[in-house]
Amino acid sequence: MRGWLFVLPALAVYGVFVLRPLALTAQSSLYRWDGVGPSTWVGADNYVAVVTDPGLRDSLVHALLLVVAFAGGPVLLGLALATALRPGPSLVLVLPQAVPPVAAGLAWSVLLSSTGAVNRALEAVGLHGVARTWLGDSSTALAAVGVIGAWALLGVCTLLLSAGVRRLDPALYEAVRLDGARRWQEFRAVTLPGVRREVGVCVVITSLAALSSFDVVYVTTGGGPGGATSVPALEVFYLAFAEREVGLASALAVVLVVLVLAVIGPVLRWSR
Amino acid sequence: MQRPDLHRARLAVVALALLGIGCAAPGSDLTSTVDGPAVVSEPSCGTEPLTLRARFETGSALAGALADEFTRQHPNVTWDIREEQFDVLTRNAPRVLADDPPDLMRLPQVSDVAGAGLLRDLDGYARWFGWDRLPESQTRPLRVGPGGGPRGEGPLYATGLSTSVTGFFYDEELAARIGVREPTTLAELDDALARAQRAGVTPLAGFNGGATGGLTFPLQSLMGAYGSPEEIDDWTFQRPGARIDTPAGVEAARHLARWLAAGYFDPDLNATDYARMMDRFISGRALFMVNGDWESATLDRRMPGRAGFFLTPPLRAGEPRAAMAGPPSFGIAARAEHPDCAAVFLDWAVSDPVARDLVVRVGGARPLGGAATSSPVEPGSVTAATFAATDEVLAHDTAMDFIANATGSVYARSWTPQLQQLVEGEQTPEGLLARVQADYLDQIGG
Amino acid sequence: MTALLRAGLVAVTVLPLVELFVTALHPPGTYPPGLTWPADPHWSNFGLALRTARVDRALLSGLLVVLATVPAVLVLSAVAGYGLARFPLPGGRAVLGLFAIGLVLPREAIVVPLYQQVRELGLLGTTTGLVLPLIAVHLPFGVVWMRARFASASAELSDCARVDGAGPWAVFRLVHLPLAGDALRSLALLLVVWTWNHLLLALVLVDDPLRRTAAGALGAFQGRWGTDVPLLCAGALLITAPVVVPLLLLRHRFADALLAWTSVRRRR
Repeated sequence: MRGWLFVLPALAVYGVFVLRPLALTAQSSLYRWDGVGPSTWVGADNYVAVVTDPGLRDSLVHALLLVVAFAGGPVLLGLALATALRPGPSLVLVLPQAVPPVAAGLAWSVLLSSTGAVNRALEAVGLHGVARTWLGDSSTALAAVGVIGAWALLGVCTLLLSAGVRRLDPALYEAVRLDGARRWQEFRAVTLPGVRREVGVCVVITSLAALSSFDVVYVTTGGGPGGATSVPALEVFYLAFAEREVGLASALAVVLVVLVLAVIGPVLRWSR
Repeated sequence: MQRPDLHRARLAVVALALLGIGCAAPGSDLTSTVDGPAVVSEPSCGTEPLTLRARFETGSALAGALADEFTRQHPNVTWDIREEQFDVLTRNAPRVLADDPPDLMRLPQVSDVAGAGLLRDLDGYARWFGWDRLPESQTRPLRVGPGGGPRGEGPLYATGLSTSVTGFFYDEELAARIGVREPTTLAELDDALARAQRAGVTPLAGFNGGATGGLTFPLQSLMGAYGSPEEIDDWTFQRPGARIDTPAGVEAARHLARWLAAGYFDPDLNATDYARMMDRFISGRALFMVNGDWESATLDRRMPGRAGFFLTPPLRAGEPRAAMAGPPSFGIAARAEHPDCAAVFLDWAVSDPVARDLVVRVGGARPLGGAATSSPVEPGSVTAATFAATDEVLAHDTAMDFIANATGSVYARSWTPQLQQLVEGEQTPEGLLARVQADYLDQIGG
Repeated sequence: MTALLRAGLVAVTVLPLVELFVTALHPPGTYPPGLTWPADPHWSNFGLALRTARVDRALLSGLLVVLATVPAVLVLSAVAGYGLARFPLPGGRAVLGLFAIGLVLPREAIVVPLYQQVRELGLLGTTTGLVLPLIAVHLPFGVVWMRARFASASAELSDCARVDGAGPWAVFRLVHLPLAGDALRSLALLLVVWTWNHLLLALVLVDDPLRRTAAGALGAFQGRWGTDVPLLCAGALLITAPVVVPLLLLRHRFADALLAWTSVRRRR
């Protein structure tokens, strides 16, 4: 029983400042409430609103698209780089994980502005037609946010996958090489199965980053233009604190948690 | 090794959710109403040291200058001033007033917070100081009926430091080069825009990026030309049955869409913020800019002798010209610590000669109340032009409140995204107004 | 070819920081074209950001939040991790399960009631009101991490100590804790970075930007001087440098810690 004395302090802080709020979020999601005055029981109405309101539904779709960008880019590129760069890439790659997302967002909005480096590079190679204000154009803004997220996560994924590749037994490669395998076949037969765990980990951390991508969106686009980059994380913030729709914000937050579990659950099972 | 897996985590979430439902409903019946207190003795700041806590708008040098001067005249008063962007200020107003009530707060939009009992009813002060003798058009937007609506009647919840007016600023050098004169009709304005474009100059500097739907400025200017300012105010004040998607409103939105389609704005309009628009206009890269007289002093300083101003021209020459002219308004939190001193400051700002002089010199605006000002305004300056425009709008009673102020969230949630979509060609003028109208009904209905 | 790839990768990684740096040197109030060295570098922008924008106060506040948060998380995590690893607790697995929820929980899921709760405690806008939730949201990782560390220690250690008559607390403090020093140092490194860079809770719980975390203050500068890009970039660099520069020197440990962090995510 003495062991509980060790566990209780942490559990108490965690219970009061994480578990209790989590339970209250679930509870508030069933009420209509402005956060100050009395509340009214509305059952599942807020959840119905989350899936029927076009703005909120779009934000959920955007979150899933960001999962594809945040996870897809770093994992695919990371696999390629980990295979190509042996013994491994420079450790400078950890840098984006140390930069505050707010500062990274700011730097990228300068890079991606109408007179920014990205457009200047495009114009330098004659691609004047392609240049645009990437974050201010609703057809590219979400993709631009995806690029920022991929930049932040590429390094850590590459390092992780590279560590996985290094751990593989060289004998395995020799065996397939004796069978006359080319590099691509070698990759499919040995590397990919060998780093399955690492790929799973990368997908999980990148998906989590994509689903709670508040910081970068908040500083780069604020959800605009025209809602093109609205994400649940930002909508929860706006709904609760600007529109005082605490019930609706809570319902969206609960849906976000469900989405997180639905996305990473299968990945964890696959990579085990 | 023991591994708690996802199933357990999920079960725990469900258990916690059930736990939560068993408890009492969130919230309370707390309502703090502060009835218009009759002011029976002279409000003052006393002689004891006190600190006024204030929330001002970023970039408004006037409020800060007035605060400094007030301290010079009342040495026992010091300030704790926080500045925020307009959209942050609007968004945070309810929770700031509820949880961290300042003495003075710049409030673009009063009906939600007044309705929620978060603002002090200023009628008592208004009677004591005689604010009810100010031009009605200047106090109307700041009166709120019971429960938050409609606006335009009921107790006074905020007051301004100056009048204000909006319209078209223009670059006189560029205009002379292109051969453009101040237009007297909307058609002449269209012609001027087309000429600027042919001359290779951006016809209109605008901003519509991020969370700032700056196209509301040109849109409402056009609405004032096509329709009546009273009708627009009815909507902004939440009068029952008022609509924004009127035939005149739709005409105005179509006109704006034509400007967009013609390429009169810079192509990165949706990524341009207010400061960048100012920078482009001041540096002579655009002929026109729709903006307000709060920039007059800045323009006179940064492009002396080069800036001109005219009110949005009407459809037919000679018709009265309307303008957005909401005074930059300040309220006092219901639970403010020093409401009397805050009220003294608000009255002082419009009555003290030095303060009125600051309003002109720093704010570039015409002081509120009183027919004329003793302050020198250089003839030919853009400040002089906006003064004349203010007088014209006051004389014709064609001032209207800003359509972004209709509800607490209509600017951030409806005007801004819808106008950004209009720029992208993803929304039609009709669709834009229909959507804003629907959101608006949703916002005031709830 | 490989060398080129390596160089390209590093270039892309540092590109945004280089852009921040050169933009910060342009005259205040201008809109400089991307990645150009200014004709007349305005080194004074950094001083201007420190003085007029009070970045100095933001840095101090960020430091205070880190100093209050990180040691508390380390102590609570080490103690709780030890308890969960070395005692046969009934319900211990369920407790670990509760902490596991926290590993994947988006902060947005708790931020609204957290605001109400901190308000009820009268701690809105205070460092305490920000630090307590920050400790709590970082505990799941700390506890799971330290538990894994203590679980892998050999059981004979405790047995030997207990034979010598030491109580459970003494065994923990004198035998196991010193051996976990490396894990604690890595944990501390990650916690410093995460706390320094945290935005959401700081934005919601503390209204005054200069009393938030460092990143929280920066979030407000964006709103305040969206007007002045070079000054904004100077401020951003001043706030980024205190973590990025030491971490570049400690990159081996940081990389190891990050990789270990990801594996905790997987193993849980």
